[in-house]
Amino acid sequence: MKKDEEFMPRILAFLCNWCSYAGADLAGTSRLKYPPSILPIRVMCSSRVDPLFIVKAYLGGIDGVLLAGCHPGDCHYEKGNYYTRRRFALIKKIFEELDMEADRLLLSWISASEGPKYAKVATEFTEKIKKLGENPAKNKIFL
Amino acid sequence: MERKIGVYVCECGPNIAEKVDIDKVVGAVSSLDGVVVVEKYKLLCSADGKKFLEEEIKKHGITHLVIAACSPKQHEKTFMEVCENAGINPYLYQLANIREQCAWITEDKDEATKKAIRLIKAAIGRVKYHSSLEKKEIECNPAVLIIGGGVAGINASLELASPDRKIYLVEKTSSLGGMITNFEKTYPSMQPSSHILKQKILDMDKNENIQVFIDSNVEEIIGFFGNFEIKVKKKEVDEPAEFEVGAVMLATGSNFFDLKKTPQYGYEKFDNIFTALEFEKMNLSGEISLKNGKTPRSVAIIHCVGRDEKGYCSEICCMYSLKFIRYLKDKIPDAQVSNFYSDLCIPGKSYQKFYEQTKGKNVDFIRSTNVEVTKKENKLSIKYIDENGNKNSLLVDMVILAPAIEPTSDVSELAEIAGISQGDGGFFAEEHEKLNPVSTSTDGVYIVGCAQGPKNISDTIVQSGAAAGKILASLIPGKKMEIEVKTSHISESFCIGCKVCISVCSYGAITFDEAKKISVVNEVICRGCGNCVAACPSGAATSKHFTFKQIHQELLEAVK
Repeated sequence: MKKDEEFMPRILAFLCNWCSYAGADLAGTSRLKYPPSILPIRVMCSSRVDPLFIVKAYLGGIDGVLLAGCHPGDCHYEKGNYYTRRRFALIKKIFEELDMEADRLLLSWISASEGPKYAKVATEFTEKIKKLGENPAKNKIFL
Repeated sequence: MERKIGVYVCECGPNIAEKVDIDKVVGAVSSLDGVVVVEKYKLLCSADGKKFLEEEIKKHGITHLVIAACSPKQHEKTFMEVCENAGINPYLYQLANIREQCAWITEDKDEATKKAIRLIKAAIGRVKYHSSLEKKEIECNPAVLIIGGGVAGINASLELASPDRKIYLVEKTSSLGGMITNFEKTYPSMQPSSHILKQKILDMDKNENIQVFIDSNVEEIIGFFGNFEIKVKKKEVDEPAEFEVGAVMLATGSNFFDLKKTPQYGYEKFDNIFTALEFEKMNLSGEISLKNGKTPRSVAIIHCVGRDEKGYCSEICCMYSLKFIRYLKDKIPDAQVSNFYSDLCIPGKSYQKFYEQTKGKNVDFIRSTNVEVTKKENKLSIKYIDENGNKNSLLVDMVILAPAIEPTSDVSELAEIAGISQGDGGFFAEEHEKLNPVSTSTDGVYIVGCAQGPKNISDTIVQSGAAAGKILASLIPGKKMEIEVKTSHISESFCIGCKVCISVCSYGAITFDEAKKISVVNEVICRGCGNCVAACPSGAATSKHFTFKQIHQELLEAVK
């Protein structure tokens, strides 16, 4: 495989406005490097992320989905991230039950001051997805 | 109406231009459906840039605007203002962040350019589904409820009270003043503490805009910033007093650590062991003496009592312990005073000097661990391990314990009533430790003084002034208050009345309409997190500006 044909995964990142999006910004302002494979979507709170978004993205062929919010106890909206945590556990379970690749989903707590953590999570998650390869759902017909 | 999307790519000086091939970006998005103009510009946030944008919007009749520049955290509002000035609704615009999360994260210009194109395409896809949102304003009540009549509450009352702003001060004990009334003097000036408080309390009495409730507790706070309804119950009075305010300030102070949890210090087991507060009171009453009436010749002050148990330094104990040395030296000049400490906390511009002036003849500072107090004949024996790890002991007549500062016993109840949370150590949690230390997660509820964390009198005054300032700036008599626009909304026709949204809302912003059997969002209270939208099983709930379609459009770009 030629270098320019190297598999560059498509990763979607739902970032909460107050912590994780600011953390991702900080990674940039600190000029930390991480793969540009991640496309961020800003939501006010991670609890806005309807599990359906994750299913839709997966069935649409996304290679990985990162969901990031404030640390437990630090939610800007008091307890939104606790709901995110539960919903994420549920969606993982559903993925496993349906034999879809739950490893393509990642939940992480990243605060506004954790630029380095965001860069690290983005890098490691990209590496992991690279190993998993392309999302097979891209070519499968599910429904 | 036909959509005319204008896309403007900011070079941000060299910041974006050097890392992203801007011409390629412009080329890649210019033929997209609905896009009528794509331009690059050196620095869009500059005065010239804003003017340029305004003219462009008018010239091309742009209905929907996409800016590709820095993070929305940086300039989202800037370009919203441009939209307003140019006569389009500020919510018909989307900012694509091609700087912080694109240009600056990779050295690979090709990849950065590709990512920038995707981000802009996502923004274009999204902006097509944006709707105009109108600013909302509500009437607000400028009155303020202050809970706690200590130095923080008193100071804030005086800062805030005016003929058009009534202050309700609620104090649970029978008198005003709080903790400070137990102190003869305050550090580092060693001025009588009455100097700080006496005049202020007189001013309070004279001020007819301040209504004080003593022996009273707040029973209920319902409502939202600008419009809270309050119930205050006075002891032995059946009917609670009810009134309305626009903001609430919690100035409930602190307690001392329970010494039962540290039996090694022998408190209540042996005579002549006093807590800091007991010693303050004894000193205030005039004489410092032992239980048998004699004057102590040697005194040990044990710092950091309960620090390990609580897991934090209480900030003020070292300083008031130094003050105790002054009390002792004033009344018993030849007394030997030994301080047992683990760390001395004497920060700031004047404390070091206070310490230097306090230490000296017959005053020892012993850095120690494993301090234990037992009785030996008529004296108290302090056993400890010194800095070099050697076991040691010292006989003294009197022991003063400096216990950690902790929240008052009603802190959880009050947090519940005020709808705020508790943070480290159980103190009321601030909205942001550094950026917003007097605000809380509930708009219009402020925390000041030791209720927020251990602190000295000056810091308490600073905080109560800061919170008063926030109230003065946001609750202006006669002026309406702007509220969150990006709230949730529940469709009357889709709602199945399952109440799931009500159960997930942190703010009590959703109520159930029993007649229609549907949930209804109170958009004045709603903060727009969108939790109810994700939870709604029937698709009835939507969050404005973060609708399913809008997010889905961004998502589609990611999977392409």
